[in-house]
Amino acid sequence: MTGNDIVDKFTAAAESNWKRKGFLEKLFTGQEQQLIGEASIPEDMLWRLWTMKESAYKIYTRQFGGRFFAPHKINCTILSNTSGCVTLNTINYQTITRSTKNYIYSMARLDKNAQQAFLNCCFRLPQWTYAKQQAFIYDNIINQYAVFTGTIKNGLSLKKDKDGIPFLSCQGDMSVIPVSITHHGHFAAFTIY
Amino acid sequence: MSKDAMIEKLKSIVKPYVKNEEGFNNLNADSDFMKDLKINSANLVDVILDIENEFDILIDNESMEKMLTVQSAMDTINAKLGEK
Repeated sequence: MTGNDIVDKFTAAAESNWKRKGFLEKLFTGQEQQLIGEASIPEDMLWRLWTMKESAYKIYTRQFGGRFFAPHKINCTILSNTSGCVTLNTINYQTITRSTKNYIYSMARLDKNAQQAFLNCCFRLPQWTYAKQQAFIYDNIINQYAVFTGTIKNGLSLKKDKDGIPFLSCQGDMSVIPVSITHHGHFAAFTIY
Repeated sequence: MSKDAMIEKLKSIVKPYVKNEEGFNNLNADSDFMKDLKINSANLVDVILDIENEFDILIDNESMEKMLTVQSAMDTINAKLGEK
């Protein structure tokens, strides 16, 4: 099982004022705030930690169901420039983060021995409305999955359960394929495992 | 404050962060900040900080955990105002 999360750095700079009073305190533990404060580029560390938390949370909710907004319960440890560990209710998730000048993208998995996602794709979105971008992302997922697995794409559809957790379903097949999807600003990514 | 007045106040608070206009136009007590209004999770903290400022209350982590819908936000606001 995998989870992922992306932050478009330009959108984040425009839409989130991380210096506002209470922002860091509500989202990060004391230790994480210290990491942000000591980082050479605080914004990059902040969004790295945030995407780590989000990507692990997405696995957790798929495992156990239910939704909550409790960033303080999700603890991040930085292991290297790219790898990290996230703990949520005693469960550990391994993360890999990719940082570019445009975005910060984290992918989490349940344990480090698990296989990599068999499809992991990150792409730029046209400057469309949010709804049109969403439709584009869904189409892209179906197309890429169909090509990758040699399935006929007409039978594939992307659905969400009552908690908003996405999955691919195949016509005539009862099994569902878990997909983790992330979209922020002009970037989107998905993983399938 | 009446329920309608509070919903109106919350509507003006969430407006800058909403990505789904249709969800915003149909905003009601059952609206989900992320699922229906498509508010980014990183902006949910802005909604919470704006609520704190607007109603002059402090929202602790435990209360924040459940604030995923307009109704749960109203419940928290009323509880915090009641403690004053």
